[in-house]
Amino acid sequence: MSTMEEYINQMESAYKFKTQHKRKNPRYKGARLIINEETRRLNSLNKQPTTTYFTISAPPSIKPLKTYCDITGLPTNYKSPHNQIRYLNKECYEIVKNMPSGVDQQYLSLRGANVVLK
Amino acid sequence: MTENNFSHNFAKRDENLPPRKVYPLPDYPQPEGLLPFDTENSNYQQNVPIAIDLGKTNVRVGMAGTRDPFLNYPTLTARYRDRKNNKQTTFVGNDVFLESTVKANMKSPFDGQMLTNWDSIEKMFDFSFLHLGVNSNNRVNNPIIMNESLAAPLSQRETISQMLFESYDIPSIAFGIDSVFSFYENGYKSGLILGTNHESNYVIPVLDSMPLHNISKRINIGGHQLCDYMRSSLGLKYPYFPTRLNDWQIQQLVKNHCYVSKDFSTEIEKTLDMDYLETHDITIEAPFNEIIKEEKTEEQIRLDEIKRKENIKKLQDQAKLKRIEKLELKQKDFEYYSKIKESFSELSKKEIIETIREAGFDDEDDLDKYLETLEKSLKKAKLLNDTDNDNDEDEDANKYDFSILDVPNSELTTEQQREKRRLRLIKANIDSKLRARQEKEEAIREAEELRLKDIKFREDDLENWIKSKREKLEKVVKKRKDRIKLKDDLNDRKSKASQMRMKNIASLADDAPVQSSDNEDRRGRKRRHNNKPATVDNDPNDTFGANDDDWAVYRDIAGIDDEEISAEELEEIYTLEKQLLEFDPNFTMDDTQERQFDYKTSTIHKFLRGPRDFDNEDQHQLHQIHLNVERIRIPEIMFQPSISGIDQAGIVEIAEDTLLRRLPQELGFSGDNSYNETIAKVYDNIFLTGGSALFPNFKERLINEFRTGLPSDRPFNVRIANDPILDAWRGMSKWAFNDYSNNNLKGFWTKQQYEELGVSYMTENGLGCIKLT
Repeated sequence: MSTMEEYINQMESAYKFKTQHKRKNPRYKGARLIINEETRRLNSLNKQPTTTYFTISAPPSIKPLKTYCDITGLPTNYKSPHNQIRYLNKECYEIVKNMPSGVDQQYLSLRGANVVLK
Repeated sequence: MTENNFSHNFAKRDENLPPRKVYPLPDYPQPEGLLPFDTENSNYQQNVPIAIDLGKTNVRVGMAGTRDPFLNYPTLTARYRDRKNNKQTTFVGNDVFLESTVKANMKSPFDGQMLTNWDSIEKMFDFSFLHLGVNSNNRVNNPIIMNESLAAPLSQRETISQMLFESYDIPSIAFGIDSVFSFYENGYKSGLILGTNHESNYVIPVLDSMPLHNISKRINIGGHQLCDYMRSSLGLKYPYFPTRLNDWQIQQLVKNHCYVSKDFSTEIEKTLDMDYLETHDITIEAPFNEIIKEEKTEEQIRLDEIKRKENIKKLQDQAKLKRIEKLELKQKDFEYYSKIKESFSELSKKEIIETIREAGFDDEDDLDKYLETLEKSLKKAKLLNDTDNDNDEDEDANKYDFSILDVPNSELTTEQQREKRRLRLIKANIDSKLRARQEKEEAIREAEELRLKDIKFREDDLENWIKSKREKLEKVVKKRKDRIKLKDDLNDRKSKASQMRMKNIASLADDAPVQSSDNEDRRGRKRRHNNKPATVDNDPNDTFGANDDDWAVYRDIAGIDDEEISAEELEEIYTLEKQLLEFDPNFTMDDTQERQFDYKTSTIHKFLRGPRDFDNEDQHQLHQIHLNVERIRIPEIMFQPSISGIDQAGIVEIAEDTLLRRLPQELGFSGDNSYNETIAKVYDNIFLTGGSALFPNFKERLINEFRTGLPSDRPFNVRIANDPILDAWRGMSKWAFNDYSNNNLKGFWTKQQYEELGVSYMTENGLGCIKLT
């Protein structure tokens, strides 16, 4: 069992197996930025490689979409006309009807159907 | 209304049902201490490749050629500053759980599918190499084999090799994809890999040890997305849940309780049936500190009451004593000054003034005034004492002589007139009290009469009594329902009720200007007054108000809060039900309004609270989560990404597409290819690996789906990796060791190549490391 102090010393001893003029790590970049940079890089190439991050992305489904109740998750065909929430039965509709306006957007965001203001 | 809760307080019906099994909510693992830097069993040797599986959940590190990874820790780092020695360090893996201050800072170096935080990754390399026992100076003299995600942006590969080559000076590096490593470890050469990952799922066909990356596909659904979905759906299911679930707990819930449904569309339909819930509902209880209420015995309550009363009595007595004391003092004062005043008659004027001055008064008037106020207060106090002594007010009436009231004022002196006025007030007071008492008695008597009449009616003719009571109950219930419906309707601007209300308001508003213009136009006022159109106020034919319901129009317009009405109705329903329960043999607990809500028929109740009744006073039940629909709904997202709003086809659809369309085209077929041997090899080996492969029934589900989706004359095989999680690392270790011992590390990209070409020209190595330029 090593103590905290020993741990700190041990971790510091890692400099031994590193090169003396260690390169500084690149700064933090978010995933979105990395993907944007990749797009730019690919656009600048003369010939596109056959496989890229973008070509292997799966296509949308061509099967008919199944719809499920947003509250319970059971299959349903009903949709509330005023906030687009799908509901299973009368009981769920009671909840949908009295839903505050923020909550319905939260339910919709679960299946990516919420309104996004840009 | 003091009591709003009209409940029949019946015993819970489900006492015969066994209680549900309650699972505890897991928390972060608590390590016993920091991982010791013990390098004895690491088998570290220079020049032997080090295999690093940098996964999104766990990192596995070990020397190539060993069976199991030497290190296996969660992909987490936490920065920490030791304030005592003013030193900064980073904790890695399980060590971050050791202390809560460290745990609060923990972070993953990943952002989605991308490696982003390179400082964290460097610390992970440091940590791993130290534990392995790397002891060379200024370099790590081992080739490194690592995983990457399929066709990840080039900058990812560039940065990581830059770090390893330039900071650690490693001799060579190789990259591959974890699911392909897993495939390799299981000893297959051709097949279709379904690789499930923490951030995404991959469908990769492999022919003769070569992954066909140009027809591989990535679906942006992985274990992490499932956990995210679990978190948000639980947040919406229990918005007021007292504890916040952390990432680890959510992950454990998904891992331990979710499973892939063999036949989703039929199973989901019955997930909220009572018998299904009985076997499939999972109850999870979050830890909490139970507050134990002290139960008082009846004896204690009684004693407390007595004590309280005694205290009140004591205080009252004390107040009385003080009052009497004061009274005595005032009495003495009064007597003393009266005596002085009496003695004035015997004294000279000068002496009088002197005595008055001595007593502290300005003059005789001042003294008189003082005496008068004293007298008044004395009288008042005496009266109070009298009423204190005997509370029976009836006798008061006898104490006063009211005869004076009948004597006309003219025959009385001013003194008597004053007395008369006082007596009149007293009499009025007594009379009103008497009247109130009589009214009260009358009301009680009437109620009693009504009750007796009701009892008589019941005893004479039970059948009709029941009938009338039931009718009454029905009427009240209907009225209540109508009222609630009307209230709901009024919330909707387009409903009929709302429009009627608007019409009423409009017609009322319409009347007002007619009258006001009358007032303004004074000249024509008289003439017009006669011809004034019939309004609400003067229409002789108006029968408004004759019907009680007419007045509801005002309530509708004002939108009066009808809580009080609601409470009255509830009380009425409750009393009627109570009577019926007592005397009507056919009216049972199940017929009461309270019981009309049966949790067994309530979808929402079953969804939220499972197959048992819910008691909102029970602290345990308030801290419980029920998983029922979620158990199959969440893994289903892999098959139907549209559930979580991702516009991509599910893993089965992509796999079928690959087998039926992409693969034959890749091989140069169009049209009938059913007897092609190469394709048969792929069909023969549909290979499932990765963390999500551990969901129960995944293989069965795939078999079911492929049986319906693939041509019926073509046999296929679905296999699952021996160890879906560790096989990736094992494949790495095996491949690297083979390459090291038999191939002279030909599969690796050396430092020289790196310096001359960079990593952009890295070539396909059979492990999915594709050329990106």
